[in-house]
Amino acid sequence: MTQWSGYFGLILQGALVTIELTLMGSVLALIMAFLAGMGRLSRFFLLRALATAYIEFFRGTSIFVQLFFAYFVLPLLGLELTPLQAGVLALGLNVGAYAAEVVRGAVQSIGREQHEACIALNLGRWQGLRTVILPQAFLVMLPTFGNNAIELLKATSVVSLISLADLTFQAQVVRAQTGNTMVPFTTILILYFILALLISWGVRLLERHLARGLDGVRV
Amino acid sequence: MSAPIIKVDAISKSFGAFKVLDSLSMQVMPREKLALIGPSGSGKTTILRILMTLERIDGGHIQIDGEQLYHMERNGQLLPADERHLAKMRQKIGMVFQLFNLFPHKSVIDNVTLAPMLTKGTPRAAAEKRAMELLDMVGMADKAKAMPAQLSGGQKQRVAIARALALQPKIMLFDEVTSALDPELVEEVLNVLWRLCAETDMTMLLVTHEMGFAHDFADRVLFFDRGKIVEEGKPDEIFRHPKQERTQGFLKKIIAAGHRV
Repeated sequence: MTQWSGYFGLILQGALVTIELTLMGSVLALIMAFLAGMGRLSRFFLLRALATAYIEFFRGTSIFVQLFFAYFVLPLLGLELTPLQAGVLALGLNVGAYAAEVVRGAVQSIGREQHEACIALNLGRWQGLRTVILPQAFLVMLPTFGNNAIELLKATSVVSLISLADLTFQAQVVRAQTGNTMVPFTTILILYFILALLISWGVRLLERHLARGLDGVRV
Repeated sequence: MSAPIIKVDAISKSFGAFKVLDSLSMQVMPREKLALIGPSGSGKTTILRILMTLERIDGGHIQIDGEQLYHMERNGQLLPADERHLAKMRQKIGMVFQLFNLFPHKSVIDNVTLAPMLTKGTPRAAAEKRAMELLDMVGMADKAKAMPAQLSGGQKQRVAIARALALQPKIMLFDEVTSALDPELVEEVLNVLWRLCAETDMTMLLVTHEMGFAHDFADRVLFFDRGKIVEEGKPDEIFRHPKQERTQGFLKKIIAAGHRV
């Protein structure tokens, strides 16, 4: 009979790394999503082009390759990253590209009449965006952001390939040390699922909080 | 005799191949109450939208309160207006929309205070005090904390009127403000317009299908058709003795549809 408690400790440490990676990656993804999403809607060609190039590139290449590039190729160009930094960078940029389209779509979904009310009230472009358009658009973005965050959580497992000790990495360690495949992988399967569930709930809670008072449709 | 507050000089506007306004000219005097009537697609709403800078003109000139709207004078030359000039000109004009266009994520009072606080830097307390006065005037003071989704159409429209008034415009544009309302809610909005007429000296332009109201309320009526002003005059002249065939035809249709004139 294997002494499992020590191994569970390992896996919990891995869970902490996964959570850390998910949180930091999500923050970067969120920033990139707004930068690129708003860039896509810019009046200026250069900003639109930059945003489009970023989105298409990071959606069009594999997260594995992006991670390997960040960890193995950037040092050759003089940029040395820790596994955690490389992981956050690759995950944040990758998921941010998807989420950027969510930002763009949500902002565009806000009706023309809201923009016109802003003009009629003489709000500046940025004032209207900040106080009228984005707060409404954010509510539209939230459910899909939840999806994106779960995608990001699941994608964190790729960092095990650059020797970052996340959930998946630790499961492999346990498997190697105990020879048991079933227990470690079943455990992390459940842990990933619980984490994803927590994200779902969190997003739904936030959504309900923000939708208070709005038309019943979105509650 | 004072100068006109709105002077529209030979403006034209097309949407693609469709000419909405065809070399249109008109003048509005300060404090005048003007009703714009006509079939849909005749350009009457477009002229309001152009005055609110929601649409650009293809040609011609507009003066508001003695200043060019879409042009700026620089060293004796007329240049196209930039965003800053437009923002300055918009201070003189307010607009109320057919579909209210309230901000659904903001309470009634926040809808009213938002623009004064952002565009004029009015402190919150002063903005709220003023907002409560305006909401009181439109009979919505007791709903100040409500969200727009909790209001009826007529209530929303009254809030929208208070919101536009908060910026103290000299000119108010009303674009079919009762068209989206259930019949029993129309009157509460029209009553607010009467009150504005009595208590302020704003110039008011109304696009409306409420012919009875236009008759009683307006100093002057313009009948639009196909991008031109076909006929204009005092309400009695237009509604009782229209000279133009197109005006007669339009009014006949409207009466047949059950509107009181």
